Amino acid sequence: MASLITCPHCGQRPKEEFTIKGDASLTRPAPDAGPDVWYDYVYLRSNPKGLHKEYWHHSSGCRRWLIVERDTVTHKVHSVTDAALTKLGGAA
Amino acid sequence: MPDFPTSRPVLAGKSARHGKGITLEALPEGHVLQVMGATTSADLRALLDSAGLTGSALRPAGYRQWYAVGDTPLDAQALQAIVTALPPGTYLSDQSHGRVRIRLSGTRATELLSKGTAVDLHDSAFSVGHTATTLFGHISVHLSRTGETEFELTVLRSFAEALYSELEELAA
Ligand SMILES: [Zn+2]
Repeated sequence: MASLITCPHCGQRPKEEFTIKGDASLTRPAPDAGPDVWYDYVYLRSNPKGLHKEYWHHSSGCRRWLIVERDTVTHKVHSVTDAALTKLGGAA
Repeated sequence: MPDFPTSRPVLAGKSARHGKGITLEALPEGHVLQVMGATTSADLRALLDSAGLTGSALRPAGYRQWYAVGDTPLDAQALQAIVTALPPGTYLSDQSHGRVRIRLSGTRATELLSKGTAVDLHDSAFSVGHTATTLFGHISVHLSRTGETEFELTVLRSFAEALYSELEELAA
């Protein structure tokens, strides 16, 4: 597993400082999307070999939510961005 | 017999420790103010100065987060004056009762800290004035380099004794 994460605010830190929330590529369905769609969104994950995009919380650092793109085969971290700033286009 | 526990500094029972290349001491429980919001270090510094807190240190603690710390306690009036002067969208949480400061100094200070934190403390990466919110072992700390061989650790009050004991152990 990727053991060093470069937080955009704090710099390079060990993974022990972070808490992983899960898949950052999911889109929350509409409230009336139906039970099958919601079941899929809440419970079903494909766990692909390779590239993952996840929410990481820098819980023992700046306490910001980050989006980490990493590869579970090569352990390479491709990018780390601030989740809120990315979503708001840096205007937060 | 008093019904209420008496307030005392949490590290009052710990004596300053002077070892080979290491000095460890608990700092006075003065003020620790946590500020969060859309402002800048320069604006906050000016705000603290105009409130008469010229002796307080202002330390970044992450994206739009700071600690303003000093050795003297603030009364409610002084605190309110700062809160009132804050720009809109900026918030203050008085942590004077909730966080404790420990000073670690000496030629072996970085060596000792490296046993507990993964932050790169080399002069080229963490010069005087640099700060970091990080883990020391399993304890969350805010670390500041206050001099060439001098550091301050700010820690939650309930973890202060554990951290101090750990630092004493590592300094041995
Ligand atoms: Zn961070």
